[in-house]
Amino acid sequence: MNFKIVWMDFIYSVKGWYRSRGGMFWSLAFPVILILLFGAIFSGVGSSKYTLYIQDQDQTEMSKGFNATLNSTKLFNINIVKTDVNVTSFIKEKNIKSLIVIPKGFEQTIKNSFMNPSARVNLSFYFDPSEQTTTQVIRSVISSILQEMNKNLSQGRTIIGVSEISTITENFNFIDFFLPGMIGFTIMQGAIYGSIERNTKYRKDGILRKLLTTPITRSEWILAKMLFMMFLAALTTALITIIGILVFGMTVNITPLAIIILIATSFLFSGMGMLIGRFVKEEETADTAAGAISFPMMFLAGTFFPLEQMPQFLQTIAHILPLYYVNEGLRNSMIYMNQTESLINGAVVIIFAAVFFISGVLLTKWKED
Amino acid sequence: MIEQRFKCPNCGEIASFYGDPGEQTVVSCAACNSKGRITIPTSGQNNNYAIEVSHLTKVYGDLTAVNDISFSVKTGEIFAFLGPNGAGKTTTVEMIESIREPTAGSIKLLGRDIKTQFNDVKEKIGILPQEFHSFERLTVRETLVYFSNLYKKKADVDEIIKSLDLTSHKNMLYRNLSGGLKQRVGVAISLVNDPEIIFLDEPTTGLDPKARREVWGVIAGLHKKGKTVFLTTHYMEEAEYLADHIAVIFKGKIIAEGTLEDLIRNYGKSSTLHIKKCKNAAEVIEMLKQEGYDEVSSEGNGDIAIKIDYKERVLEILSHLRHDCIEYESLDIRRSNLEEVFLRLTGSKLTEDKQ
Ligand SMILES: Nc1ncnc2c1ncn2[C@@H]1O[C@H](COP(=O)(O)OP(=O)(O)OP(=O)(O)O)[C@@H](O)[C@H]1O
Ligand SMILES: [Mg+2]
Repeated sequence: MNFKIVWMDFIYSVKGWYRSRGGMFWSLAFPVILILLFGAIFSGVGSSKYTLYIQDQDQTEMSKGFNATLNSTKLFNINIVKTDVNVTSFIKEKNIKSLIVIPKGFEQTIKNSFMNPSARVNLSFYFDPSEQTTTQVIRSVISSILQEMNKNLSQGRTIIGVSEISTITENFNFIDFFLPGMIGFTIMQGAIYGSIERNTKYRKDGILRKLLTTPITRSEWILAKMLFMMFLAALTTALITIIGILVFGMTVNITPLAIIILIATSFLFSGMGMLIGRFVKEEETADTAAGAISFPMMFLAGTFFPLEQMPQFLQTIAHILPLYYVNEGLRNSMIYMNQTESLINGAVVIIFAAVFFISGVLLTKWKED
Repeated sequence: MIEQRFKCPNCGEIASFYGDPGEQTVVSCAACNSKGRITIPTSGQNNNYAIEVSHLTKVYGDLTAVNDISFSVKTGEIFAFLGPNGAGKTTTVEMIESIREPTAGSIKLLGRDIKTQFNDVKEKIGILPQEFHSFERLTVRETLVYFSNLYKKKADVDEIIKSLDLTSHKNMLYRNLSGGLKQRVGVAISLVNDPEIIFLDEPTTGLDPKARREVWGVIAGLHKKGKTVFLTTHYMEEAEYLADHIAVIFKGKIIAEGTLEDLIRNYGKSSTLHIKKCKNAAEVIEMLKQEGYDEVSSEGNGDIAIKIDYKERVLEILSHLRHDCIEYESLDIRRSNLEEVFLRLTGSKLTEDKQ
């Protein structure tokens, strides 16, 4: 490996990129415009207003009846949380504003209450104190439903109560969600299109053939290109982060894990671009194919809009998309500071990166037929 | 005693013989047993072939793009590989450059088998691929510096710029250059490592006559510096103007090979005599045919064309004309060219876009 050649190639890539208005626009101006635009449109909009999460640990007729009653008020967008989920971390992770837990033994306690007058069961209501309106609405709805139930069960004696738990999570809003998505998306685009250009245009123009006859080796060439992709990734991340901090007053953390995820993302999508360029020979067609893959992926992977707002089957699809793990990993490590989650996301991204990059390099035809 | 390689004119097999410089000897080919007399050259090094290709074949599905061809290129010569579109020129040259994998056959560059030793010769060759288009957003000078940095051995970039007359364009972006300049930069790129062999795949295709002349000038300049040049082209004039040695390739086969003189002598009659505005052309044609000129044709308007192999024939024909008191307006003699050689060999024209 001749690092002088690698560095030289990298410098010239930067030079060419710097002179290309298109390249500059898509890797810098476009994400900045989008951030400013979306940030302005959605500023102050909480990501889950009037959305109520319910975890039903009891799973009985009675608890389901309670759910149905809540639902029939038509005031909430109700989401069911699986019983094996730890609500405290769930709330932290997903930045949940309101969540109700129906404890195990809910029905049993109510049945017992006919014999045992002191029987009592409490629902847990987790709420975000900063969301005053939402909390107020939910609190009053719950208490009127419970009042009704208590009256029917025991002529007014309180059998079902509520214990309120204030969740002091940070108040994240849309821009917090959007910014890491924008970083991941921009890096993805740069990597895919860059590697398509090298594998189609450079082939057509004879540059790859020419290089085959010079002493530069394949690994030097690839390393130089990856260095360039990482340079773009760093620049994009820095720029978007600075805007987030200065314009929207965000708290963004560039953690080591975030950096690893960013690097892996460059490799991942460079590999994907190589695969596209391998099977679609024309540059324009390959670009179209790249768009057809990356745009749906962008929406489905929860890049710009939270997945929770999407139908269940789309949420399932998201979990097989590499970009989903990039988005989640970046959010968890840069914004929500959720280390465990981001480690898992990061590991998945690295595995995806290894698979795509290695198969991209192996399947790319370096020689001509 | 020195080793000398020869190519069998019958089967193309390449074999080595030993002898003293200037010695003449009768040898027989190991492959096909045909006999021939060879002369060991007086000057020349041990191995004076820059490129040796033997039994090279490339098959694409049903198509044999290159069909068992053998040839050698001497050090310091301009070798033109002449053939129409689709003849197999690029396929051949890219196999020699190790860009494509041959189906069969062997290739040596500077005495080294490229199958195993291509990396050793990379520093010593420079190539210009067909329809090459360099990095859009680097200037001419940056482009040359870029490529020269890939090599250990570096020629002086500014020297190349000067010698290819690119000085006034050296700070222009490659994408803004005209086609002719792009090709000239392409040739310049192939020189950045001061190579011994330069491969140019159709360096002038698509250029206007002026730009073509300029590229020719550059190639002729390389020749003067003692470089070996392997040139592919489908322009007759290009091969005629530049090449020391020409191989005509057609449908994957080399159908003729030699110096320009050889080709014209062997495959064309050397000249054509044109009689313009002859009074009774039909009779004259009949008469000449009886006199033993078998290639006489009417070109309409009373014009007659007669293929001749010796200059002396012109006098003969003239005396016939005078003897029969034939009236005509003018005479002119044109030397045969490769176009005609090609026409004779293949029955088709080489280029449609002749200018
Ligand atoms: N990769 C390939 N796959 C299939 N067929 C090919 C391939 N490359 C070349 N051919 C065929 O091989 C033949 C020779 O092609 P080649 O490019 O060598 O011709 P050429 O003499 O360079 O022509 P041109 O003057 O147009 O450049 C053509 O019929 C071409 O279609
Ligand atoms: Mg060709």
